[in-house]
Amino acid sequence: MAPARFDELIHPSTRLSLVALLAAADWAEFAFVRDQLDLSDSALSKQLSTLEEAGYVEIERPVRDRRRRVRTRLTDAGRAAFEGHVAALREIVATADPEHALA
Amino acid sequence: MEHPVTPNEARAALDSIDRGRRQVIDEIDLPRWYWFGLALGWVALGVITDLKHAWLTAVATFLFGAVHSSVAPRVVDGRHRSHRVSVRRELTGAQTARLVLGGIVALAFVTIGGSLAIAADGARHPVTITSIFVAVIIILGGPQLLAWVRRRVARDVA
Repeated sequence: MAPARFDELIHPSTRLSLVALLAAADWAEFAFVRDQLDLSDSALSKQLSTLEEAGYVEIERPVRDRRRRVRTRLTDAGRAAFEGHVAALREIVATADPEHALA
Repeated sequence: MEHPVTPNEARAALDSIDRGRRQVIDEIDLPRWYWFGLALGWVALGVITDLKHAWLTAVATFLFGAVHSSVAPRVVDGRHRSHRVSVRRELTGAQTARLVLGGIVALAFVTIGGSLAIAADGARHPVTITSIFVAVIIILGGPQLLAWVRRRVARDVA
């Protein structure tokens, strides 16, 4: 289990949902993520750029059926940061509700 | 120690993370064409078997197995229903492939047993009749099997 580390970059709600979605996937197409999170193209691009600059996601542009698609995936650093963030959130909840944490 | 967020905010964030995971878990499935192709192949094999040419049945069975072997590794793990997302292997494990392939073996036994029973009753095309019955099970039961897998994966990651 990753050591608990609260990550300010991941925590904002849209980015958290985005990273949680990518954490469950090897990769996801831009359109899939956009549809699932109900974001506009520009809003998703902005969030992905922030995460890409931090080294948390990679953006690929494979060509398939002569169509250029955009795929995104979490990097190892992004996955480690996400797991640390989840552990930190669980610690916060457990501190407030130790009985629940033991259940 | 002071936390950067309150416990309620942390709980809300964990709920949001859980929703994100479930959106990907909902994608665990096999392409629809797989079930229809399997059902169609099953009926074709049944019809050919009823022609009672051993060599033809052998060739058809070999072809069916060869085509399935070339297609199955890409789809039976349930991680690639569409080209839009690849579900992480850690979520599905090997259980989806085991269930699908185990189901096919079970249906092969159902086909053999059903055909023998119907043949004993004097039917002219026992394997065809049983294969159509099994094809319906595949088309209706396949997606149900995957729905069960999704529920199980969702429960396991909760």
